[in-house]
Amino acid sequence: MRHPSVRFPGSFLIACLMLATAMPAQDGAGLEAFEKTIRPLLIKRCYACHSSEAESLKGGLSLESRSGWARGGDSGPAIVPGDPGVSRLVLAVRYGNPKLQMPPKGKLAAHEIKAIEAWVKAGAPDPRVDVVPAPTRRDIDLEKGREFWSFRPVGDVAVPRPVDDAWARGDLDRFLLARMEAAGLAPAGDADRRTLIRRLTFDLIGLPPTPEEVEGFVHDRSEDAYVQLVDRLLASPRFGERWGRHWLDVARFAESSGGGRSLMFPNAWRFRDYVIESFNKDVPFDRFVTEQVAGDLLPYETPEQRNRQFVAAGFLALGPTNYEQQDKEFLRMDVIDEQIDTVGRAFTGLTIGCARCHDHKFDPIPTTDYYALAGVFGSTEVLTPGNVSGYVEHELVEPATTAWHAHQKARATLAATLNRAQAALGGKGTAASRPVKRAGLKGLVLDDADATLIGEWKLSKFTKSYLEKGYIHDKDVEKGEKSATFAPDIPAAGLYEVRLAYTSGSNRATNVPVVIDGIGGLRTVMVNQRRSPPIDGMFVSLGVARFDKGMGAVITVSNKGTDGHVIVDGLQLLRSKGAAAQRRKPVRIVPEQSKIEQRVARLKNELARLDKKAPPAPAKAMSVRDARKPADGHVHIRGGVRSFGPKVPRGFVSVCSDGPAKIPAGRSGRLELARWLTDPDHPLTARVYVNRVWQHLFGVGIVRTPDNFGLMGERPSHPRLLDWLARRFIRDGWSTKSLIRMIVSSRAYRARVAPSPESDPGNRLLSHAHRRRLDAESIRDGILAASGQLDLKMGGLTIRKITQYDYGYVFDTRRRSVYVPWLRNAMLGLLEVFDVANPNLVTGRRNVSNTSPQSLYLMNSPWVIDQARHAATRLLETGPPGRKERIDRAYLVALGRPPSAVERDLARTHLRGSHASQTDAFSGLFHALFGCIDFRYLK
Amino acid sequence: MEGLFSRRQLLQRTACGFGSLALAGMLKGQDPVPMFPPRAKRVIFIFMQGGPSHVDTFDYKPELIKRDGQSIDFTGVRFGTFGKVSKRRLMKPLWRFRQYGECGRWVSELFPHQAQVVDELCFIRSMHTDGVAHGPATLFMHTGATNLVRPSMGSWISYGLGTLNKDLPGFVTLCPSATKGGPRNYASAFLPAVHQGTAVGAAGKPASEATIRHMTNTVHSRERQRRQFELLRALNGEQLRRAGADDRLEAEVESLELAWRLQSAAPAVFDLSRESKATLDLYGIGEKPTDDFGRQCLLARRLAESGVRYIQVNYGDESANPRWDQHENMPLHAKHARATDKPVAGLIRDLKSRGMLEDTLVWCGGEFGRTPFAQGKNGRDHNPRGFTTWLAGGGTKPGFALGTTDDIGHEAVEDRVHMHDLHATIMHLLGIDHERLTYRYAGRDFRLTDVHGRVVRDIFA
Repeated sequence: MRHPSVRFPGSFLIACLMLATAMPAQDGAGLEAFEKTIRPLLIKRCYACHSSEAESLKGGLSLESRSGWARGGDSGPAIVPGDPGVSRLVLAVRYGNPKLQMPPKGKLAAHEIKAIEAWVKAGAPDPRVDVVPAPTRRDIDLEKGREFWSFRPVGDVAVPRPVDDAWARGDLDRFLLARMEAAGLAPAGDADRRTLIRRLTFDLIGLPPTPEEVEGFVHDRSEDAYVQLVDRLLASPRFGERWGRHWLDVARFAESSGGGRSLMFPNAWRFRDYVIESFNKDVPFDRFVTEQVAGDLLPYETPEQRNRQFVAAGFLALGPTNYEQQDKEFLRMDVIDEQIDTVGRAFTGLTIGCARCHDHKFDPIPTTDYYALAGVFGSTEVLTPGNVSGYVEHELVEPATTAWHAHQKARATLAATLNRAQAALGGKGTAASRPVKRAGLKGLVLDDADATLIGEWKLSKFTKSYLEKGYIHDKDVEKGEKSATFAPDIPAAGLYEVRLAYTSGSNRATNVPVVIDGIGGLRTVMVNQRRSPPIDGMFVSLGVARFDKGMGAVITVSNKGTDGHVIVDGLQLLRSKGAAAQRRKPVRIVPEQSKIEQRVARLKNELARLDKKAPPAPAKAMSVRDARKPADGHVHIRGGVRSFGPKVPRGFVSVCSDGPAKIPAGRSGRLELARWLTDPDHPLTARVYVNRVWQHLFGVGIVRTPDNFGLMGERPSHPRLLDWLARRFIRDGWSTKSLIRMIVSSRAYRARVAPSPESDPGNRLLSHAHRRRLDAESIRDGILAASGQLDLKMGGLTIRKITQYDYGYVFDTRRRSVYVPWLRNAMLGLLEVFDVANPNLVTGRRNVSNTSPQSLYLMNSPWVIDQARHAATRLLETGPPGRKERIDRAYLVALGRPPSAVERDLARTHLRGSHASQTDAFSGLFHALFGCIDFRYLK
Repeated sequence: MEGLFSRRQLLQRTACGFGSLALAGMLKGQDPVPMFPPRAKRVIFIFMQGGPSHVDTFDYKPELIKRDGQSIDFTGVRFGTFGKVSKRRLMKPLWRFRQYGECGRWVSELFPHQAQVVDELCFIRSMHTDGVAHGPATLFMHTGATNLVRPSMGSWISYGLGTLNKDLPGFVTLCPSATKGGPRNYASAFLPAVHQGTAVGAAGKPASEATIRHMTNTVHSRERQRRQFELLRALNGEQLRRAGADDRLEAEVESLELAWRLQSAAPAVFDLSRESKATLDLYGIGEKPTDDFGRQCLLARRLAESGVRYIQVNYGDESANPRWDQHENMPLHAKHARATDKPVAGLIRDLKSRGMLEDTLVWCGGEFGRTPFAQGKNGRDHNPRGFTTWLAGGGTKPGFALGTTDDIGHEAVEDRVHMHDLHATIMHLLGIDHERLTYRYAGRDFRLTDVHGRVVRDIFA
């Protein structure tokens, strides 16, 4: 069964019914009131946007006739006659809901609002009839939608038979040649071997061939020299680094969130390494998709497999989320939107995000499809609560994990014993020197991470033991400008004991003001933080306060007038019977003091010994998990966070589905989504991916809009070839390497660059090769390769020091660009000016710009000048003697070819000029070579 | 299906979105024509980061003074207090107000210099916006979205109108902050990268050292730079000759030439030593409190003169609570007022005396205002529900004030102007219909104001 084309007929039905029931209210007195006050009011304050006067009818609502408001706008009827309390028009003019305020320019006068309320209460008598026919809604016809090329099943295509078959090296060439012949074009000749090895090496591994590799290939006359070259490059670990980077563009990968308050993602590198490894191991693409959409839900046989799959699902979590957004429901819907957009474009080339507020204007994607998917992602957790929200992390299973957990357990037991002993001492001394988890504590516990901070606070872990991940301090500066505010939700009204957690020390303030805002007003308590916290070595009681459920509690620690470091580690609220807390005075047991002290010392030693032997803590991966109670969601009218339409069952894109999705109870539906995406009969997944691969090898896709296969995307230049490739790809087990091998083995790939014929100025028929500029990574890696400075170490965390923020990061790595820290607020300069993908957006095809900042970078960047010097030093130390030989070698290293006669002369003239040293002279030559057009353009 | 097809073709053929016109114009290297006669040719946006208090500066509320110390019910808007009602203590302005100019505008003693130019300014005292925290609200002010990645307003304007000087970028932001949205506040998102704001200097670093990145070579002597450039040019010439006719390679060669020219020409724009002593004094350059921001404001005028379309001047820093963010120490406002007041007023006077105020729109304000009630003993919290922004020049009514907040200055009530409306209005002053300047990306047409925005014609001269 297929999804019928339905679009909430409900509201219209309701409108009709209402119209019928409301009719009797059209009495004379009511109508007079309407004419006297309501009609002029509507004309004056509403018609500009809600009548035929308006340039466009706002919210789809017309107030020009009775049927206009009865039918209503996008949110449903504007008036329910007789019931002002539920009439949206009345609610809007009352200005009670910040999201529903009309007129937007300013509130009506009180008497005007009263008049409207009275009129609606009286049954909203209104004699006006439609002046123009009501607009009809466009319904999406799925059957018709399926006729569009990209929604049709992938065809089983016969290979064409070109007239002059001798040129073709395989079926792929036959598709291209047949089209050329039909257009009266002939293929240009083949590229020379020097050009070919440079093109292939950059395309497959993103690095230039070494002079030896070039010379070897040029002089290798064996028949399978090219095949061998292809095999060598596909087997190189550099291959995954190159092709992994292409996918990271699509996955909008980054290691920080960017946006308002940019959060670091210290474990995101694992996702990057997962992608690189997947390409190196040629993981079947359908498997690759499944792991990224639902890796956390897949079965596994080994811990390594489990880890790998959890890391893969990080795909859904790596977006540019603004964790600071205060309206958390708004944030949640935006995260879901980002996931739908990313999944839609990355895997299926569909812009599903367009259907958030209304049916897709161009593609057959109703808004119900969007919210069917939103149900799937709404049933998936990526955020954790907090003023600044956090993200979900999973512990990875490593050899040391079991040992670590055992250690944790032993430690907890010992620490508890120690705490008890110390409590007996009257709370003297610090407790177990190790982070305390709030889960183990009673009552309502908030960490410093939950506080709203004013001013700059520094996170520290210096003084053990603290709650959760550390504590914050005010750096003992800017007194009076910093505060930390806790606003816990109070589960039930009543008395609470308030306790502040801090770590003591001799540099602490003795007079930290803490303001408790409860029922009965503000109260300030001073805390001396030089004294060790009396309760469990962690908390000090601030006394008892009464809080209300609705109002909540607000507790603020400030550094006003303080005489040392102010520490905030957390807050504990305990239900109190009042006096109980006051009774909790430290108990002193004098006779046993020394005995207990000895015991404490012994326990402390034991704990220190245990800590020394501690196995490393298990690593974590940024990932997702299914919500505890997966459920269908509602349509949100016009995308409004709090305007709900009908409920929609979870599902996928109907135009590409055979029927409703079958999602088992208690599951989010992500696994089913992955199955739907990787179904060999899915019309889009293979086509979209094959096109991506093609584009990276030819410079232009068969579809030139790789992320949009919808109506607004471009049509394929060779639709039959695309289908043939997609079929082959699936038949070959979704193998990326096989696909690449097939494409680069074609004659078309090996063609030379030539001027485009007049009949095909854009070279859509591929009668010759496109000239291509190297991407940013290849420019940087190519310079490093030529200077001998490239560090080929693979994988791992590369952010020098995980800091709190990403801005101002200083890049100093010599590793391949794919391993450069990828931060949304700070991008390595060279990569940025040469059009690296914007990590905030799904990027299937990068911009290739030509701007003066690029030239300025190449001319003036100290880094480029430095690399030129390294290249010169290496040439002089290890290269051939003799000026001519050195010049030739410099060109070979930088451009993969010897210089032309003119180029050699230019170099000679340059070297003959005055230079401080030989190194200086050759540095200048390399600097020019790194900047010249042949360095960054592939023939 | 046929219907959909023809609709698409229609869109393509008639190029009815101004966006496509704009793009077409730029590809040909021409300035795209505005949609209707512009009142302003360029914008100088002075961003007061952190949220200056309107009730202590331009929004005079006698009622607030009268009710000082009274307690009111406040419904929370932040995480943790969302929707909860609590009691708050009203706090009167910490500075005295007086009337100035022929228009009789009330200004507090925080801004003695701006008070002297009120007859040039056009106030909107009924602003309201989206976002309660700095990050979201700052992004909203710059890009029209609190969370989703959207192009900055300067990028939209550069995209719509192009640049007036091919040797300089169309959109420059002076000493921007890396926090609270950071680069996203001046990034072009999905618009072509050429429209992204060029950052000159950085918040927290002296404006006297601000320049375009890699504009100068700090390693080589001038003579060596020239030789190096000649060698590169010759190499390119030879390689271009061997490659045969290719537009893209020719453009690369040209862009090198342009960079070389830029390298020679741009430093002059940034060189303030060419200004007279009187001008420097006007901006407070040479006086300690105002020197830094004065330089930024003067640089803004020089960039405006040189043809930059959209110049943003930032009074910001890199800390967790930005400069005007006085949650518990409102008296600190005085420090920030001292640093900015004279330079800002100086810019207005300078533009006026050069006749540039006619077609230069100046926009000055923060991402939100502050609450009329106290936070802590003498601080104020963020207030996105009502605050003041002013415009000057560029076809706005001088000596005018639009809109009001309620009696205590908490919520905008009359002639309310949402940030989307302000964006739409500024675009209109530049001759752009905010509903028609669109860019097709990921299958749909985007615009700065999303599906919102109302042109506030009441402030047009």
